[in-house]
Amino acid sequence: MLSIFDGLRGVDFLSVFVRIVIACVCGAAVGLDRSAKNRPAGFRTHMLVCLGSTVASLTGVYLYLEANLPSDVSRISSQVISGLGFIGAGTIVVTKKRTVKGLTTAAGLWTTGIVGLAIGSGYYELGLLGAAMVLITESLLSLLNSKIHHHPEYTVELSYREKTYLDDVLRLCKNHRMAITNLRIHTMDSVGQDLPKYTAEVEMRGNTDSKVLLELIQEMPGVVSAAIQ
Amino acid sequence: MQDLTAFFRQFSFCSIALRLVLAMAVGGVLGLGRTRRGRSAGFRTYMLISVGAAMCAMISLYLYQMLKGPWAETAARVGEKFDASRMAAQAMTSIGFLGAGIIVKEAHQQVNGVTTATGLFAAVCMGVAAGVGFYEVVLLAVLVVGLVLNLLSPLEGAFKRHLRNITLYVEFDSTESISVITELLNEQHVHIYDIDIEQTEQKASKSPSAIFVLQMSRENHSHSGILSSLAELSCVRSVQELIS
Repeated sequence: MLSIFDGLRGVDFLSVFVRIVIACVCGAAVGLDRSAKNRPAGFRTHMLVCLGSTVASLTGVYLYLEANLPSDVSRISSQVISGLGFIGAGTIVVTKKRTVKGLTTAAGLWTTGIVGLAIGSGYYELGLLGAAMVLITESLLSLLNSKIHHHPEYTVELSYREKTYLDDVLRLCKNHRMAITNLRIHTMDSVGQDLPKYTAEVEMRGNTDSKVLLELIQEMPGVVSAAIQ
Repeated sequence: MQDLTAFFRQFSFCSIALRLVLAMAVGGVLGLGRTRRGRSAGFRTYMLISVGAAMCAMISLYLYQMLKGPWAETAARVGEKFDASRMAAQAMTSIGFLGAGIIVKEAHQQVNGVTTATGLFAAVCMGVAAGVGFYEVVLLAVLVVGLVLNLLSPLEGAFKRHLRNITLYVEFDSTESISVITELLNEQHVHIYDIDIEQTEQKASKSPSAIFVLQMSRENHSHSGILSSLAELSCVRSVQELIS
């Protein structure tokens, strides 16, 4: 522990003031980055969470150190952590495509709350280090995030006339080292001889570029049309 | 070497910085493969969670140090009712809630996001271990958990694609079609475990549908083969494999 903070470890007016100011600054610093990216929880939310946890843990310390009540210094702080979990769960949104959004924001909000707890307990070093790490992860590493080569799943939609054509397409995908993760076949109500009888949605994952694969599928005999969703 | 470990076991500024960096690195290792697979929780989420968990554990350690040091006089007078594991314990509950928010219920009795939620839970547990300075378990566990999260998933996928057991979601014209479908399945020596009819009434937009739980024959268990032959039936509108 650093000695420069030694005079501020107790609960007196000066240390309460310093803790609240530091909590405000940390919350705002993390939140401004979120605001700049136009995320749902901006700098006011982060400041509130950070300040609230600071006050909560300060109260825990006060009850024991100043009011001299036989209590556990960390109980209030620890319940704040589980409360933050609820708030985080609320910021997570399920989109129409059945994917989850807002997870990084939820995690950042959770960690910002814990930064507030550290500051409120008087552990300034940890609070400041933690805030710096949240900032690094949320701002600097998001640049790295876009550089990582993604292999997401994609879905090829194709329509064809005979059952055997699908087997050919699946074999082609397997030969291109694609793993078929899901398959859906719909039967069409078409009557004409030239119209496609089936449509299939093939979900797959692998290293082959989706556009290259799509062209190969479109060239296959029997495939009427193919597209990537 | 021994001096070095002893140094980082102490509770000093250097060691807390090391523990935070370790927690962050652990989160990054666990999350990197998830980012590459385009999952909703990438490495930044994992890093934030494990850094937060490490901080929880360290706040407890700090308070304990204060109770032993500067606050010892109060502790002697009022009595010491402190539990050094309480804050870390609450971190686990808390991430349980976050995880519940990630798990999405999909149509046809399926759920999504369970692996993500459990991965975040693992990140919290390892963050706590890093925070208290239990370095050995962190280094060992990051290898094992990283392996399970990132490398075993292609293996599991391949395993599932070659299973004899398969669950199918089928839409058909009318409830009578079920007998046609079961006949076809019997012809192909497919054992039917369960048929769960989802919708019997014929609405304007939706056809009746059912979920079939099947075991295919030992000789022929191509998943796409059974889907194609079901789709060939004139009464079947659409067929889809359900993968959990």
